[in-house]
Amino acid sequence: MERKSILNLIIILLFSALIIGLLNLAILQGAKFRRLSDSNCIRLISQFGSRGNILDRNGEIIVGNKISYDVMILPQDLNHIDQVLGLVSRILGVEVKQLKAAFKKNFISSSVPVIVANNIKLKDAILLGEHKIEQPSIIITPKPLRYYPYGALACHLVGYVNEIDRWRLTKLEDYGYKTKDIVGFGGVEEKYDYYLRQEEGGLSVEVNHRGKFMRVLGFQPPRNGKDVTLTLDLKIQKIVEGNLNGRKGSVILMDPYSGEILALANFPNFNPAIFVDQRSKLIAGLFNDPDAPFLNRAIASSYPPASVFKVVLACAGLELKKINLFTSFVCQGSTMVGARRFKCWDVHGSEDIFQAIAHSCDVFFYKTGLLIGAQNIHDYALKLGLGKNAGFELAGETSGFIPSPLWRKMNKFQNWFDGDTANLSIGQGDCLLTPLQATNMLAVFANRGYLLSPYIVKAVGDLDLSAKKKRLTGVPFKKSTLEVVAKGLARVVSDDQGTGNALSALPVKVAGKTGTAQVSRGATHAWFVGFFPLDKPRYAICVFLENGGPGHAASVIAKQIIEAMNNQGLI
Amino acid sequence: MMRNSFFKILILALIIASLGIVSIYSSTFQKETTQWQEIYKRQMLWLIIGLACFFFISRFNYRKLWDANYFIYAAAIFFLLLVFGLGVIRLGAQRWLRIAWFNFQPSEFAKLAIIIFLARYFSRKTVDDTSLSSGKFGIFRGIILPFIFVAIPMFLIIEQPDLGSGLMLMLVFVGLLYLTNVRLKYIFTLLVALILPMPFFWHFLHDYQKQRLLVFLNPNIDPLGAGYTVIQSRIAIGSGGFFGRGWLRGSQSQLYFLPESHTDFIFATFSEQWGFLGSSLLILMYYLIIRQGLIIAQRTADSFGKLLAYGISLLLALQVFINIAMNMGLAPVVGLPLPMMSYGGSSVLVTFIALGILVNIDRTRNVF
Repeated sequence: MERKSILNLIIILLFSALIIGLLNLAILQGAKFRRLSDSNCIRLISQFGSRGNILDRNGEIIVGNKISYDVMILPQDLNHIDQVLGLVSRILGVEVKQLKAAFKKNFISSSVPVIVANNIKLKDAILLGEHKIEQPSIIITPKPLRYYPYGALACHLVGYVNEIDRWRLTKLEDYGYKTKDIVGFGGVEEKYDYYLRQEEGGLSVEVNHRGKFMRVLGFQPPRNGKDVTLTLDLKIQKIVEGNLNGRKGSVILMDPYSGEILALANFPNFNPAIFVDQRSKLIAGLFNDPDAPFLNRAIASSYPPASVFKVVLACAGLELKKINLFTSFVCQGSTMVGARRFKCWDVHGSEDIFQAIAHSCDVFFYKTGLLIGAQNIHDYALKLGLGKNAGFELAGETSGFIPSPLWRKMNKFQNWFDGDTANLSIGQGDCLLTPLQATNMLAVFANRGYLLSPYIVKAVGDLDLSAKKKRLTGVPFKKSTLEVVAKGLARVVSDDQGTGNALSALPVKVAGKTGTAQVSRGATHAWFVGFFPLDKPRYAICVFLENGGPGHAASVIAKQIIEAMNNQGLI
Repeated sequence: MMRNSFFKILILALIIASLGIVSIYSSTFQKETTQWQEIYKRQMLWLIIGLACFFFISRFNYRKLWDANYFIYAAAIFFLLLVFGLGVIRLGAQRWLRIAWFNFQPSEFAKLAIIIFLARYFSRKTVDDTSLSSGKFGIFRGIILPFIFVAIPMFLIIEQPDLGSGLMLMLVFVGLLYLTNVRLKYIFTLLVALILPMPFFWHFLHDYQKQRLLVFLNPNIDPLGAGYTVIQSRIAIGSGGFFGRGWLRGSQSQLYFLPESHTDFIFATFSEQWGFLGSSLLILMYYLIIRQGLIIAQRTADSFGKLLAYGISLLLALQVFINIAMNMGLAPVVGLPLPMMSYGGSSVLVTFIALGILVNIDRTRNVF
């Protein structure tokens, strides 16, 4: 070929190469470069809405938000960073070094304000605001923070908020959660986080190559989270927490017709505000506390019910016709079961069903239990909602445990003896239930025949959930059985010798059952579970004191609570 | 026939130059000072002067260049030397001479001067003898002597420093050697002699030149420094997509992410706004002009005119190719303008003079 043709060819090839290169950049990789181009010049400046409030049933704020002030510095118009930081440090009393470190750490681009100090005092915010004219690069922005007007009140129900952890992030990423998001931990804050959380809004702005602001491209206002209304009654909750007053245990008040939790308190507890202030030492101390202050004892731990369990025996005996209203057993302070002597806590003499419940006579129930049989006791306990979750909506509920011969055989390869039946009859042995289950069980006698699903959230935003949440399960007992047991429960208080006699002095008639649970170590657990007023029950109550002594101790607390409620006209 | 090539070249060049002015307007339109915003008016003035030169030169018998050849060569060397003494330093290089109200870039002029010189060197005095004698040249007359003549201005240009224009001269030189039928083995000898000491020359490169070459191999080694321009320019071209983002809508050039958006990287500016469609049409127009040049060269009997036309076409083709390839990251960043598009009086002027010579060669051919 001639040289000039070769030259021609080379030039055609070179220009074709240019077209191919163009094709590759603009068409094949066009979308990628378009994205890169946008990320070059578009910046997002986020703005925060506030997290939804948590309200009590009357709309009072249990957990709200307060405005906190952040100091930000806009690097764009900054000439003398040292001068500006010096001013901030003088007013806040923070070292310049610390501010400088924060500035370096948080710097994104010169058009995005940099946070140098969090959560400053209102007074300092105003003082800094006055320097706005001479130092226009200082920006004070309000940011809503979680606020707990009653400190630790209802902390186990409410939960706390903190920066999202890795585990939650991996599960929630698909729902729009990001790192550094503040999310709920435990209680309603976690369960209803999706509704409570605010939607971040923001400005998208165009910047030039120096990061200087050019124009606003779009604005989406932040959206506040939805308020969550609890079934809790703030006044009752306050009374309950005041009376529990540092005793380890938990107290529950529930509406015996709907299952609404009106008050629920546990001790030890914690103040969720420590997570807002990020007081890490205090937080670490709480997590390592052997008394487990984060534990919602009312639902998440189970205890031997002791005499409270006798309610199950009474129902089973009457339903199975093993005993009737005229059955009586003589209590001589003990009885022989097999070759072993089982003691009663007192000498009661001849007792019928009413007296036996009122006096909590162990002998009566040993004998009744042996008549009924262990498997029947187990079955009736389940009918009253024991041994399975109460269906409470917050996470962490435990089901408790009701032993049975079958279970023991299958799991422990051991036989069941009459002694075990006797032990089960007074709620000892392997039998365990949660305070919430105890409350729910006694509510059956208050509403005469319905097992409830306790719940805590009444409404989300404007949407009332109570109709959906109220779930009644009929308990297939005869009316008479329920009446008899309820009468016995009333006698616990009204009888002179009744174990709950301490409550008889109240102007309100109360029915209930005490319990004193033997534990392997330490003092006994104290129970009082009941309902009031007797004629038209409005409240089911459970007072449980962990290692709190005899059942009497619990009934005294119950008395104080009911008294206070009465004084405030709540009954 | 004659009018044909004249109008083809004129119209294509006018369209390209107008697109250049539109792009310069768009790339400086957001700048704060009016001095920057009015830069496109200066380019319009240059275009008018360039057109005037084009019309004048196209009527000026190119054979006179044969006689003026040594004077032109000497003038080029003189201006290049002058740059060393009096040159204006801009962007870290001393490439410009301040004359009255504008800056003149002698290296642009030198490119054309050397093409004229080489065309003269390899051709005969008389127009009647059309055969080229260079096929019978020995290595001294064929390679070494012309190389020395090219190497002097090339050395001066590279020292400015302007590596791009310097290497451009070498490429045009090799191309012309090839077209003048100098024996291939001599050309290979020259290439080997040039390429072998490359690693040695590496040490004579300026740091920024080394950096640019390294960055060409991998732009991501220094994304905010030397690699920045290429990365931003690729983003600009790529984000244009098929139809482009529209006039004055390119964020890369409008918000100054793209440096030198009105000079060396004007292709990226144009491409961002007009996309694949506009850019490929632009490349096609460049090709059509160059093709006209090659056609003129082929049908010119006079060996001086032939070589001159080849040299001018080759110079245009290589400048266009290297500039666009460097915009796309396919060639290292060297300071080469895109002929007729990039802002810069010297480049516009010299390009239109060259096109004028081209048209004149075609016109004169018919006179003989």
